[in-house]
Amino acid sequence: MFKKISTYIALFVLGFCFLLPFAIMILGSFKDVQFAQIDPLFWIPDPPTMKNYIYIMRDGMFLRWILNSVIITVIPVATQMLFCAVLGYIFAKKQFLGREIIFWIFMAVIMIPQQLLIIPKYIMFSDFGWINTYWALIVPELWGIMGVFLVRQFLQSIPNDLEEAAYIDGANDIQIFFKVILPLAVPVVATVGTFSFISNWNDLFQPLIYLTQEKMFPITLGLASMLGKEGNFGIEMAGSAVSFIPTFLIFLFFQRYFTEGIQMSGMK
Amino acid sequence: MSTLSNTLTSKKSKLPLGERLKREWKRNAIVYIVLIPVIAHFIVFQIYPFLLSFYLTFMDWKVIGDPEFVGLKHWKYLLTDKLAWKAIWNTVVFSVYYILPTMALGLLLAVIINSGVKLAGFFKGIFFLPVVTSFVIIAGIWGWLFGGTEAGMINYMLSFVGIEPQLFLSNSSQALAVLAGLSIFKVAGTTMIYYFAGLQSIDRGLYEAARIDGASSFKIFWNITFPLLKPIHFYVAITTTIGSFQIFDSAYLLTGGGPSYATTTIVYYLYEQGFTSLNLSYAAVLSYVLFSIILIISLIQRKFLGQDSKHY
Repeated sequence: MFKKISTYIALFVLGFCFLLPFAIMILGSFKDVQFAQIDPLFWIPDPPTMKNYIYIMRDGMFLRWILNSVIITVIPVATQMLFCAVLGYIFAKKQFLGREIIFWIFMAVIMIPQQLLIIPKYIMFSDFGWINTYWALIVPELWGIMGVFLVRQFLQSIPNDLEEAAYIDGANDIQIFFKVILPLAVPVVATVGTFSFISNWNDLFQPLIYLTQEKMFPITLGLASMLGKEGNFGIEMAGSAVSFIPTFLIFLFFQRYFTEGIQMSGMK
Repeated sequence: MSTLSNTLTSKKSKLPLGERLKREWKRNAIVYIVLIPVIAHFIVFQIYPFLLSFYLTFMDWKVIGDPEFVGLKHWKYLLTDKLAWKAIWNTVVFSVYYILPTMALGLLLAVIINSGVKLAGFFKGIFFLPVVTSFVIIAGIWGWLFGGTEAGMINYMLSFVGIEPQLFLSNSSQALAVLAGLSIFKVAGTTMIYYFAGLQSIDRGLYEAARIDGASSFKIFWNITFPLLKPIHFYVAITTTIGSFQIFDSAYLLTGGGPSYATTTIVYYLYEQGFTSLNLSYAAVLSYVLFSIILIISLIQRKFLGQDSKHY
């Protein structure tokens, strides 16, 4: 009994601590400026104001940043799901020359940190004229090794019977992929999509390097520039809260795919 | 699998090469049509930059004008650059602050979630929420929580136990720990998922047997659960270590590497050298330092994980 009570106390205390920053964000976003700077408990209920939200909506830049984030997130998410599914299928089920060596090279390259590639990529993209464009953030992210790995891992655990039966019925590779493989791979493709969403929507480092014009900023960089300007806390929290909505919705509906994906990636 | 492809190739090797390639193309045309652009993309955005950055380390890359070959100049400079070594040291200190607490908190959360409490799924979601939240959002809140005046919320709470307001992010001996705290909060949910999976895979029968023998819950945890999680401990230790060496976002957002370089981590220094001072070649050298560290950690992982995988 004592054990049970102490477990619940620990659960609720930790739950409170983990939610507190989010509560501060939401409550803070409805507060007026001056309060934020003087009173540490300003976020405790007090007449709420929509001022901060109205401010960011009228600001002009804020909505543009959200739009930029949508563009550099939605396109890679869609292409990653498609390409990683196709490639995962090829590497899991197809016999072709160089299959092992190509996959081995992919898995070796995954160890190269992106901070190493960003310097040469900056030089390349300057030559391409990609600085301050969406291309620099979209084109390199069209597919990903991790996604291919996850789909391959998943499809390898599925027996070949269905595929073989479809071959015997006269289906070609493309039909088999769309009619047999893809429906089976829905969970892992959803995982690839959610991972890709989070990494692109939350990315700060690459936009910071490739973008210098404010109107090209994604929301992460936009919020960071607000943070740097020592702006007011309420407006910053309102911006954070709005930029958090898509993440939260994805999380709410696809949480299972996140956690399963993390577990799968750990099974290397 | 490998035996199958061996027999296939040995059978085919009797045919002339041209004929073999022709047959292979006929059989797998669609595979190659997909793979060729993908491999081209892979070479352009991964292999070529990797080689280019190595080449860069031997050049003086100027924003305008032709690059000039300077041999080992930048590598030699690394050896005498006190700031680079400070950045490496700061990153190591950050790892010390960050790795064990993240593992311990993740394990604690997993144990609680796994103990049969009600609403376990709901709380699992709450603990995982910071993982999917951007560093920018959390840093904004963290900066306010750890504000260095009486108006900071943590200072306000400390005032109740009679502790003077702390400077936190403006204090060179506290700033790194505050940043580590942010990362612990953000990453513990991931560690929890690994540990939770590990806990679920432990045979319940072992607990029953121990309980019949009269072992306390505490003893069961330390003598049965904890040792059985060994492969998870190892995997989590490696991934959090790799993550900790790449820390950048929070230093950029909250401290700008300061005060007096106390939070200049390897990646922050790389960023500053490369993109503020526009010394891209030296930044490339620093990126190789980071890469070497990560490579060594990954190789340790491959070596040990191979041996330990039977535990799964």
